[in-house]
Amino acid sequence: MFRFALRRILETIPVLFAVASITFFMLKAAPGGPFDSDRDPPESVKKKLDEFYGFDKPWYQQYFIQMRNLIRGELGYSFKYPNRTVNGVISEAAPVSLELGLYALTVSICIGLFAGILASLKPNTMLDYIPSSLSMIGICLPTFLLGPIAILVFTLNLEWFPLAGWSTPASKVLPAFTLGLYYAAYVARMARGGMRDILNQDFIRTARAKGANESRVIFRHAIKGGIMPVVSFLGPAAAGLIAGSFVIETVFYIPGLGQHFVKSAFDRDYTMVMGVVLFFATLIVVLNLVSDIIMVWLNPKLKFDHD
Amino acid sequence: MAALLLSGCGQNTQTTAPGSGSGGSSAQILHITNGTEPEDIDPHIVTGVPEHHIITALTEGLVGEDPEDLHPVPGVAERWDTSEDLTVWTFHLRTNAVWTTGEPVTAQDFVASFERILNPELASKYSYMLFVMKNAQAYNEGKIKDFKEVGAAAIDERTLKVTLGAPTPYFLGLLNHYTWFPVHMATIEKHGPKYARGNQWTRPENFVSNGPFKLVSWTTNEKLVVERSPTYWDKDNVKADEIHFYGIVSADTQEKYFRAGQVHNAYQISSDKIPTYKKNKPELLHITPHLASYFYRLNTTKGVTKDVRVRKALSMSIDRKSLVENVTQGGQLPATFFTPPNCAGYTTTAGFKEDIEAAKKLLAEAGYPDGKGFPGVEILYNTDENHRSIAEAIQEMWNKNLGIKSTLVNQEWKVYLDSQRKLNYEVSRAGWTGDYPDPNTFLDMWTSWSQQNQTGWSNDKYDELIKAAGKTGDMEERKKLFDQAEHILMDELPIMPIYIYTRVYLLDPKVKGWHHTILDHHPWKHVYLDSSAK
Amino acid sequence: MSLLEVSDLRTAFHTREGTVRAVNGVSFSIEKGQTLGIVGESGSGKSVTCYSMLDLIPKPPGKIEQGEALFDGQDLLKLSRRELNEVRGKRISMIFQDPMTSLNPYLRIQDQLIEPLLIHENISKAKAIQLGVQALDDVGVPDPERRIRQYPHEFSGGMRQRVMIAMALITEPELLIADEPTTALDVTVQAQVIELIKEMQRKHGTAVILITHDLGVVAGYCDRVNVMYAGEIVESGSTEQVFYQSKHAYTIGLKESIPGNQTKEQRLKTIEGKPPDMSRPYSGCAFAPRSPLKHSPEQAAEPGVLKEIEPGHWVEIHPATVENYQQYLT
Repeated sequence: MFRFALRRILETIPVLFAVASITFFMLKAAPGGPFDSDRDPPESVKKKLDEFYGFDKPWYQQYFIQMRNLIRGELGYSFKYPNRTVNGVISEAAPVSLELGLYALTVSICIGLFAGILASLKPNTMLDYIPSSLSMIGICLPTFLLGPIAILVFTLNLEWFPLAGWSTPASKVLPAFTLGLYYAAYVARMARGGMRDILNQDFIRTARAKGANESRVIFRHAIKGGIMPVVSFLGPAAAGLIAGSFVIETVFYIPGLGQHFVKSAFDRDYTMVMGVVLFFATLIVVLNLVSDIIMVWLNPKLKFDHD
Repeated sequence: MAALLLSGCGQNTQTTAPGSGSGGSSAQILHITNGTEPEDIDPHIVTGVPEHHIITALTEGLVGEDPEDLHPVPGVAERWDTSEDLTVWTFHLRTNAVWTTGEPVTAQDFVASFERILNPELASKYSYMLFVMKNAQAYNEGKIKDFKEVGAAAIDERTLKVTLGAPTPYFLGLLNHYTWFPVHMATIEKHGPKYARGNQWTRPENFVSNGPFKLVSWTTNEKLVVERSPTYWDKDNVKADEIHFYGIVSADTQEKYFRAGQVHNAYQISSDKIPTYKKNKPELLHITPHLASYFYRLNTTKGVTKDVRVRKALSMSIDRKSLVENVTQGGQLPATFFTPPNCAGYTTTAGFKEDIEAAKKLLAEAGYPDGKGFPGVEILYNTDENHRSIAEAIQEMWNKNLGIKSTLVNQEWKVYLDSQRKLNYEVSRAGWTGDYPDPNTFLDMWTSWSQQNQTGWSNDKYDELIKAAGKTGDMEERKKLFDQAEHILMDELPIMPIYIYTRVYLLDPKVKGWHHTILDHHPWKHVYLDSSAK
Repeated sequence: MSLLEVSDLRTAFHTREGTVRAVNGVSFSIEKGQTLGIVGESGSGKSVTCYSMLDLIPKPPGKIEQGEALFDGQDLLKLSRRELNEVRGKRISMIFQDPMTSLNPYLRIQDQLIEPLLIHENISKAKAIQLGVQALDDVGVPDPERRIRQYPHEFSGGMRQRVMIAMALITEPELLIADEPTTALDVTVQAQVIELIKEMQRKHGTAVILITHDLGVVAGYCDRVNVMYAGEIVESGSTEQVFYQSKHAYTIGLKESIPGNQTKEQRLKTIEGKPPDMSRPYSGCAFAPRSPLKHSPEQAAEPGVLKEIEPGHWVEIHPATVENYQQYLT
């Protein structure tokens, strides 16, 4: 297991290198630069800025310097927030995103698994149709609609939750649910599918033939295999929850990393884009690794193949 | 639905936001949405309006602004004199103006600050705001190495002499732009090289300033808190105890915060909500003229818009009144001229009449009778719902009135800027906000040497008129010159004016000392809460 | 009283394509300690018959429409789920066709093996594991202390079926239903597994229902044989009767298709055609279209009659399926 994890971690180095390179060249290729605005600074100032940030050098030198700095862990100063380092911005915003992502993930797993497993037990009955249709609605209803509606209902009309950004536990409830519900819908569908597959397996019939009651059949025999699709989805989902919370962050005014991810690209904030992209790339790799490790732990057959 | 949306309006404004400390009805804590997270609070680095709002709370320049009409009032300078030709200005600094460290704000501080922003190494994007000062541009471009040659000199600790390159009647107005504000050089040098970016002196634990408020905390993308400065010379007249600035970007979120009573204003409001507020809560909705113009650039170097007759036809065939009433809905002023009216007393006599028949005739003369043979034109705009709605309406009007086809192209902001700069467009949406209340900020951008021109248009006579206006200190004479220039502009139409912007926002009636001003400046020391107000 | 007495069992599957009448009025019985073979092609309803008794068919779409299955006097089909669970795995156990899929890949052998003990016996886990090791040893799994902690994928097919047998017999049931226990195994292992079942049966005195399509397996082992075709029993009797005095054309066809029943020069015989589509209603005899006997279409349309032609030997009598059927009609 340890060697498997180590190998996977080593494999990520070339991946991150490739991600950094692609990001570098895509940013270079995109029209417009960090200093462009509708009020252009004087040419002499522009020239100085280029010198300061090394944009006057040939592209291969810039690339080389960029890669060297990345290896040293120096992401440099943001262009948009000129007195703040990218490392500083990320270390401030990432914990918020991670926390929000974690809550949302918890919400989506709890609700999703519950609804999905419930639906799988009585296929094609109301017990199935209701969670299934709700999860379909969950998938179709975008967060940019769900968020404002949630605020309208639970904050402005019912006054159950405060509106304030990201401070008290109560203020974290709505964003976590709004973000989590979308994924809960996916988790529910996957759990339902996974459980249906497993419940049709021969070994479930074996368990029943042994006189196991339904709860034993489900919890002892079916669940481990049934939630496999969910587990394999967890890595990408967690990454998506953390990186993709831009809309939620905007709607709920949360100081997370998702908005930097989106805004830095629009601002051509080269250093920030590079930093955030690499952060998320690393996160995705790590989360996928975690999800793989959980899978191996759940499924003994995989462990056999890897050792 | 409207009733539901508004149920909650302006209720419990006594906020429960964390950090509101003193509590009770006597607490004077303003919660202000500010449009976006500030880039920084270093006045020599930043470029935006939200930054202006914060920096003017923290820092004070030589002069201040009257809260009602923004006319210059004493700031760090308690009085000033000017030479006959308006080129030499002497400021007498008050003795009780001090930094938050307790040190006095001196004339040398101002000179050092001017030197810093103009220093080529700092590469300040807004350094050109100081170019009215003698030799400032040459120094900034590195042509002059010795700052002593620049027109800023400290006669003594309390006397500052500024020499301008040309008479500049709007000079005092310029001084309210943060680029002219003093910075505490000792603090800057303590936290990094003084002429380099990436200096940490603006972190809350380091920041030193001289304004009515001092920085307490700054949590990125959450809020920036300032409190009344105990060292400010006029602290007895500063009414608010604290101001909390929130960088909420989404207009809808701002509005929800406002309705929940967590903030005292919504910085902007989406146009679809305007009618509801107009109908149900007009006392919360504020629509004020703004020193900004919304227009289309017409590329004069290629395509159909190369022909002035086509440019005129395009400009004359749209119904601006219908556009602002039905599309933008924010009380904007339809414009067949470029400079917003009553800009430092200047209202142009230039302009044209919207006239579909005349437009058709011009189009026919250009070789496209009833739009026949017209190859179509592309309207470029930066990606935004409002710009799209306006472009669609104009597209429809051109099609109906002239029989010509147009297509819409939207580009992400930086791409759009790039296309516009490279004249890689046919018709391009644009907006311009005045930097200071003077027609010069609107009209010098169409000179042949201006970087902001970006239409390919140039006119020698126009250039001369703007140059001449820059040389005289006589306001009446300047107005005449500007008016002549604007006539040329409206005759050749490298741009198609559409409307004069308004600021549309929500404000809690408890907020007092807040007036409608053309630059949307609200000097913070005068703003306060009156809890007895409904 | 018989250990198990099934009468007129009817099971149908209601699918979108139509109703499949998988078991269509089946009656049989088995005595304590006896071995009953049920043979037939795939889809003949032999497995469904046994699954129906233990409520192991998927519902929906499956439905037991009629019949009773008296086990030690109580009707299995009328038991509540709880009562049935007390019978399943305790008094009646099952071994399934495919040992590769019938064991849970996510659980260790020991957890699965001792599960019947934990469910049905009041016994500590340690004691159960001890019994589990013993059971593995009994079915010939080498090094049982170590292997009991392994996962199914670490076992070969034959070893897994041994585990299945150990698991089925660990509660010493009165009836073991073995559903094609050797089909998925290598030929060399098949005989070993059958031998093992026989040995276990002898040891515990268990009655066995052996479901298979392989008449050869039945011949050497069973006391009685039911031959099923299209959801019905077409011939039933002692192994001798069914084998050496086969009357039904289908039984004869099955017999002739056993490899090794031919001389070297003969080609292996097969029964031509396919079993009927059970989702379509038919009248008359289901085997008539495939029958090698001479019959007219009118005769084929006659329904068959199950008749005891000699003590204990039952045959479905029909012109298309029984040669000289007239002789049995009276």
